[in-house]
Amino acid sequence: MTQPEVIVCAGGGGVGKTTASAALALALAKSGHRALIVSIDPARRLADAMGVELGTEARELSVDSGTGQLFGLMPDPQDALRTFVEFLFAEEPAALERLVENRLFRVLEASVPGIHEVATISLTWRAIIEHDVDVVVIDTAPSRNAIDFITYPKRLAKLLGGRAVAWMAAIGKRRSVASQDDKMGRVERLLVRALGPVTRDVAGLFSEMARVRERFILLNEHTSDLLLRPETRYFLVASPTAAARDDADYLIKKLEKLGIVPRALILNSAFVPERDWVQVLEAAQETTPAIHAALCALSDERETRSRAAARITDAFSKRQPNLQLLRLPYVETVEPRSIVHSLARSFDISALLSR
Amino acid sequence: MFVTGKGGVGKTTVAAGLALAAAETEGEAVFVEFGDGAGARRVLRNRPSGLEHVVLDPSHAVARAAAPVFGSATLAKLALDNFAMRPLIRAAPAVRELGVLELARQVVEEHPGKRVVFDMPASGHSVAWLKVARQGRELTGRGPVHDLCARLEAELISPGRASIVVVTLPERLVLWETLTLCETIEKEVGLSVDRLVVNRVPQAPPENALNDAVSLSKNEGKIAQAAQKLVELLSIRDLVRKQVMQALDETVHRYGEEKGGDSGLTLLPLASTDPQARTVAGWLRSQGAA
Repeated sequence: MTQPEVIVCAGGGGVGKTTASAALALALAKSGHRALIVSIDPARRLADAMGVELGTEARELSVDSGTGQLFGLMPDPQDALRTFVEFLFAEEPAALERLVENRLFRVLEASVPGIHEVATISLTWRAIIEHDVDVVVIDTAPSRNAIDFITYPKRLAKLLGGRAVAWMAAIGKRRSVASQDDKMGRVERLLVRALGPVTRDVAGLFSEMARVRERFILLNEHTSDLLLRPETRYFLVASPTAAARDDADYLIKKLEKLGIVPRALILNSAFVPERDWVQVLEAAQETTPAIHAALCALSDERETRSRAAARITDAFSKRQPNLQLLRLPYVETVEPRSIVHSLARSFDISALLSR
Repeated sequence: MFVTGKGGVGKTTVAAGLALAAAETEGEAVFVEFGDGAGARRVLRNRPSGLEHVVLDPSHAVARAAAPVFGSATLAKLALDNFAMRPLIRAAPAVRELGVLELARQVVEEHPGKRVVFDMPASGHSVAWLKVARQGRELTGRGPVHDLCARLEAELISPGRASIVVVTLPERLVLWETLTLCETIEKEVGLSVDRLVVNRVPQAPPENALNDAVSLSKNEGKIAQAAQKLVELLSIRDLVRKQVMQALDETVHRYGEEKGGDSGLTLLPLASTDPQARTVAGWLRSQGAA
């Protein structure tokens, strides 16, 4: 398998990230690629933006995708932990059975931050192979912390490969607290005193996880191959607000710590397309006071939008001169689908994918 | 007062607005942010003296919250700062959330009698934070972690002391997600949502503008064509606004039923620039929601 191009779209909440990602994936398909759009956003935004049904199985989307093909994948967060452990314990059914009976696991099942993302990555890997896609657009969760999960499999693999888990697993097997009076014996007593009987559930959970350490390492490789290769492109998405600017700044710093430099900033609603008819009406004698008031409001809005967009583009071109700026128009429509199709025309794919 | 809602709906601005309004009516209040304090720099440029601003850093939460669990800071360091526990805490879920919650409790304890407004993280993450105390108490059964969780429930997340405000946007899907969030909070955290704040409700266009534009578009020539463009734009906005109002009505209907009459809905207008907390406090006061 040749490595597909991977584009990760990240940004704070409410910036139109899903719409921009969907438009980008559609533009890629229209320029002849076999593109896959993956949404980690637990909301149904992607399905809504595309006007199609999406789920845990990747499928081809029946949209006008020109010469290419567009596939979509949007796993259900409700199934995330199950999907995740089924991947890990594929070869250890007995351990899987014990795991799902573990008290701690059952508490965790409802919500473990990061698991939905990691489960989605393992599904993405499968979808890439199944559908032979050559470019993947990953729409991350709408949060400034959305990319934290990138290092999660690595942290888990490291934890499970280290002495920590052997030590934890031993606690689970001992009948009483170890009598040895070294430092870790004292740590064990402190821990048992602080946590009470649940210490054994914690220890049990880790010893089951340690059984499938190789699968964690595989998962970590998949994640790194998709997200940490130098070829992977990170696009920030923002809208012209101060909050979105702060979120983008924060994400740039986080990416920097991972050794990643974002390639582009997609600025949604960056300009209101020219409306020459406004001047025609303003100058016309037949124009009524109500129309004048409406035109006035439109001009004010346009002015405010372009000032807000100028503020954010200035801020980024000063601080991140190498960041490519992609300005998307402000589209007003009733149908979310027509926004995606209209924005897809704004991307210059060959310029975007050039090295 | 915990202020939550999905990402990008304007939680920080509304939370700061509520804190500001509380400081003005009650003399003093506290606005608590998690992270780097950028929220207040953005929306609270002229903070009055009665409003205290506290920034809590989640990355130091576990170490700061652990001392009472282990008996002392030295024992906590011994228990947590070793080869086994360091990677475990980095990878284990819920530990950090518990730490953050304990820091929040300490802030409330340090400000007796004052209203403390928390600008919470986005929906799902907020629920995870708020329910971690109950989960921890039920899971441990006894011991210091159990006691820590029980104290969090009694002093921070108890129905008598805590209130929840959910910020949302006037879009059908977002409103539906919000109602689901309210149900989850009530079921899994055990707190009821006191108020829904619907942010950025679009304003009606000037009266008669659409009618006048329609009449004008019926003529011929350049002006009529221009009027037709205005008709198209105003019609889209009219339709969007109708959809918004209908979705809001349905929300009031569904949400109000549970609340027994009081709709519990506060509508804030769409301001195309970033509104300051002071402006929002004014809107909230004018709606009797401060």
